[in-house]
Amino acid sequence: MKLGAALARVKAIPSESLVRAACILGLVALPLMVGSVFVPTVWPVLVALSVGQALGTLSFVLYLVAIARDLDIVRRLRSPRRHEERH
Amino acid sequence: MAAAGILVMHLVRRPSLAGERGRNTKLWLLLGLGVFPITSAGTANIAGFKATQSREFCGSCHVMEPHAGDSNDPNSISLAAVHARNQTFGHDNCYACHKDYGMYGYVLTKMGGMRHVYLYLTEYHDMPLEESKHDIRILRPLPNANCMACHTTTAPRWLSIGDHASSLEAVRNGTVSCASAGCHGYAHPMTKLGKELDAGALQ
Repeated sequence: MKLGAALARVKAIPSESLVRAACILGLVALPLMVGSVFVPTVWPVLVALSVGQALGTLSFVLYLVAIARDLDIVRRLRSPRRHEERH
Repeated sequence: MAAAGILVMHLVRRPSLAGERGRNTKLWLLLGLGVFPITSAGTANIAGFKATQSREFCGSCHVMEPHAGDSNDPNSISLAAVHARNQTFGHDNCYACHKDYGMYGYVLTKMGGMRHVYLYLTEYHDMPLEESKHDIRILRPLPNANCMACHTTTAPRWLSIGDHASSLEAVRNGTVSCASAGCHGYAHPMTKLGKELDAGALQ
């Protein structure tokens, strides 16, 4: 039930907002990931490989969700025939 | 930088995602949120993993300072210090000797490293140096296979040494450690300063 409610909430968010959130997360993740190249000490490397990667992945996932939603991928996958008939 | 530029431009201009222009925006965002960051992350991962192999990195936890300090000491004759002076891998001598040489060795070594980080954060972070020298031990004895990764036991020069020839099988099956008191000595000067000596003193 909780997962369903969470999905419903995500569905309610406009794609533009999702992409903006993805951009902000990406801007936070990029310096975290790249910082370890310039300061290769324990904490920058650990943060890059954990928090940086997680935020970067999340931002890309948000972008993909927005794109998938725009392309109406779920409905196309559920009823490919009906979709083909329409087009 | 290019990725950051694309993302900042998107946040500032807020272009529409609909229509033909929207398609271009999405393609730019694919570069800014996908292609460039994934490339950056890949580069950073390689650089990060490389950094984790250095002695400087291993010695950055205070409990490893004595070990790294010994390796840095040009006058030390411990096994670790002798290996640290090797031009080929001396800078990464901790990793060269302690890494797992198996098929998935790199991954297993990194997983072991994460365990070290966890233990350091949960148990050893506030431990005084003297106590850590006494209490912290390698999880499993260093396998001879790690030594044999470089020092082959089939070379005539190696076999020409009497002690090597007489203990060949024991070295290969690990019942005699290369880094033991009777052979090449302990790898670090503080290896046996703690519990083992206490136990020996009590006997």
